[in-house]
Amino acid sequence: MPASLRKFIGLLLIFAAVGVASCQALVASCSTTAATPTVLTPR
Amino acid sequence: MAERYQQTPGRFPSPKGVLMFLLPLPVLFAAIASLARGHLGGLLGNAAGYALFLVGALLLRQGLLSEAEYDRRRVAKAPWPLKTLGGGVIALATGVTAWLGAGQPLVMAVAFGLAALLGCYLSYGFDPLAAKRFTDRDGVDVTDRVLEALTQAEQSIAVIEQSTRNIRNAELNSRLRRIVALARRVLTMLEEDPRDLRRARKFLNVYLDGAKQVTQGYAKTHARAASPELEDNFRRVLATIEEVFQEQQQKLLETDVTDLDVQIEVLTTQLKREGVI
Repeated sequence: MPASLRKFIGLLLIFAAVGVASCQALVASCSTTAATPTVLTPR
Repeated sequence: MAERYQQTPGRFPSPKGVLMFLLPLPVLFAAIASLARGHLGGLLGNAAGYALFLVGALLLRQGLLSEAEYDRRRVAKAPWPLKTLGGGVIALATGVTAWLGAGQPLVMAVAFGLAALLGCYLSYGFDPLAAKRFTDRDGVDVTDRVLEALTQAEQSIAVIEQSTRNIRNAELNSRLRRIVALARRVLTMLEEDPRDLRRARKFLNVYLDGAKQVTQGYAKTHARAASPELEDNFRRVLATIEEVFQEQQQKLLETDVTDLDVQIEVLTTQLKREGVI
């Protein structure tokens, strides 16, 4: 695989993982009915 | 054993790895929003995620800078695997943010983390593992000796720079800055071609070390008692040092030219013998 293609796919993955997780966290904290993290929901 | 190579401070900052500082910024805003809304769970999750992102980005950046230095040098020890470690911490930060900050199920958070790890690997690669070794003409491995000499020279230059800040004389300061620039140029030439180290031994052991001691001594004495005679002597010594450093640089350049001349001569003779020219 050419180095430039490898880097491009790497950047896409970083944007997809880090970017999406970060933006979801921001949306969750700003939404009026804030999403409670599954780990903190009472069983 | 020689110490591992460490990045020289005081150079122009490189933009390498800055993306990993910018991309997680929404997590910081998420932590602030959680604080404003009084959501303790969200605050803790986002704050932990952002802190991990920062640590990961710092490690990754340091790893990238060390790798650039490693690539530039002809002789270098393998740097600490900071890039790989940084990628791992960023993957953990992504997982923590997805799980505690965004409220994703644990399995999905792990998937986020793995995607980030793979992304870091594909984009930045792993750290170099092998040392770039150097053997002299007799076939003896002198890597440690070369690295030690270069590290010591860097330290001497750093001491001269530090002492320059304590000397309040514009003329002497500019002369010292010129000397430091010359010394760095000579050092760069030695880093690029360590075969010159033997020729530059006197420069490193006598002149550079002497320049360090004299500058350090003057910076201390001059702060306590100013004396015009001492200042004149120091000025004269600096002029000599500057001259010697310039000569050293010239000598190294001339050696490179001589080496190239010899190589051209050998090639020409060989081509003539084979009837090509």
